[in-house]
Amino acid sequence: MTALFDSLQFIYAPQIINGLSIGVAVILMALGLTIIFGLLDVINMSHGEFYAAGAYLSVTLLGLDLSFWLVLVLVPVILFPAGFLIERYLIQRVFHHRDRHILTLLLTFGLAIVLEDAYRLVWGANPMRPETPISGATEFLGIYFPQYRLFLMAFGSLLILGVWWVVYKTPAGAIVRAAAYDRDMSASLGVPVKAVYALTFAFGVALAGLAGVLLAPIYSVFPTMGKDFILLAFTVVIVGGLGSIKGAVIAALLLTQLQSISSLFISPVWSDPLVFGVMVLVLMFRPAGLFGGFKNG
Amino acid sequence: MSRTEPVLRMRSVEVHFGLSHVLQGVDLEVKPGEVVGLFGRNGVGKTTIVKAISGWVAPSAGEITFRGERIDGLTSDQICRRGIGLVPEDRRVFPGLTVEENLRLGAMQVRGRAKGETNAKLAAIYARFPRLAERRRQFGTTLSGGEQQMLAIARVLMGAPKLLLIDEPLEGLAPVIVEEIFALMTELREQGIPLLLIEQNVKRALSICNRHYAIERGKVVHQGDSTNAEDRERLISRISV
Repeated sequence: MTALFDSLQFIYAPQIINGLSIGVAVILMALGLTIIFGLLDVINMSHGEFYAAGAYLSVTLLGLDLSFWLVLVLVPVILFPAGFLIERYLIQRVFHHRDRHILTLLLTFGLAIVLEDAYRLVWGANPMRPETPISGATEFLGIYFPQYRLFLMAFGSLLILGVWWVVYKTPAGAIVRAAAYDRDMSASLGVPVKAVYALTFAFGVALAGLAGVLLAPIYSVFPTMGKDFILLAFTVVIVGGLGSIKGAVIAALLLTQLQSISSLFISPVWSDPLVFGVMVLVLMFRPAGLFGGFKNG
Repeated sequence: MSRTEPVLRMRSVEVHFGLSHVLQGVDLEVKPGEVVGLFGRNGVGKTTIVKAISGWVAPSAGEITFRGERIDGLTSDQICRRGIGLVPEDRRVFPGLTVEENLRLGAMQVRGRAKGETNAKLAAIYARFPRLAERRRQFGTTLSGGEQQMLAIARVLMGAPKLLLIDEPLEGLAPVIVEEIFALMTELREQGIPLLLIEQNVKRALSICNRHYAIERGKVVHQGDSTNAEDRERLISRISV
């Protein structure tokens, strides 16, 4: 009995907590991705690079001796207009084309390559790691949890709830959802659909940037950091249902726990095949994902 | 704007969908306070006329003016904000939005309206449509066809429409609901809101129309005074061919 409690306390609990903190990080990434897809029907291949942009900006701003908390506010504020301009002047150029899906995919993929190389040119290829703004660990039931990870989980959860509240409980969210359901009808009620698209894209980009600031102290900052994370975020969005916020949250928690717990029993090299295997199974039996669609919550 | 000057005027409007020439030079007018019926068999271009006015499809030729201003080439939201309200075919209620969210979206037509004013308008709408008030927290999908039609009309009335385009409002509705929708359209006419009405139930629709047009293969083939028995007969024989 004692052995069982010991293993629960010292082996499973830390893994679960670690999985939760990664889960929250993945949700932050997946939220912007799924909102952009839900509204614009655009698969944003450059989302990971906006996450990296947030991380690089945080490194630079922290280098100017700004406080982490100020940087946490500043980075999304800087990235929001950048996202707005990218949607207005790049995405909109191909948005009304009949091959829109392919063209937006290629456009954002191209943008990702350009951004990644730009990071390499400006900041170099070597990884950087900003200092953790909250150091130390908290003891709980005899286990030490890094305080920054606890902060990340709490702040991330608040952020996720905040995004859900904005999308589903505010007039602005109702406008976004209406435009996602039926853009023609929304426009005929006076909704400036083009502006809504650009603002929502900008919101998604700002969220990715915010995730970059939050995760930089844990995962380091390097030019391909976006690619590493985006694959898991895409899997989460597909498993949860393209465009579903609830789906992204549940799928992220499920998949990261699966990765975390399975690594106790099998080699971590199998964690990616395991996650993608789940995605394949979901696609086989529920092609629209677990909660299929922005419109369903 | 003078009393007789048209609110809406379409001149030689043409619309192409790929190789199909859907509207072939449509001329049409709606004057202040008028209810104008647009009749014809399915697929002759009636709904395309409404879509062209609303900015959903771009005319390939001709011009559309609303209260003296050209509106072809404007986006649908710009057209809406100029005062054209649309109750489309199939209602197009947003299914995952509550009744109240659907209604509040209708208020977007008027920019800069104070929150209190919108709330007052909403209260007035609920007083006129008590069934919508009862279902204010329900999603659009949970409403019956008749309730959805009422919501589609109420939603557009949340704005301040200076012209209403109503496309097949009675389609698929129970007789009791048909009467309610008719009473509502009669009220709108009495309030002096001009209507452009598409309806398959021609005899019933003619009872509230001032004038009418018959459309065939994307062209106006007949127009007349709906209060005139001869014109009504001519219309019915024309669209029954």
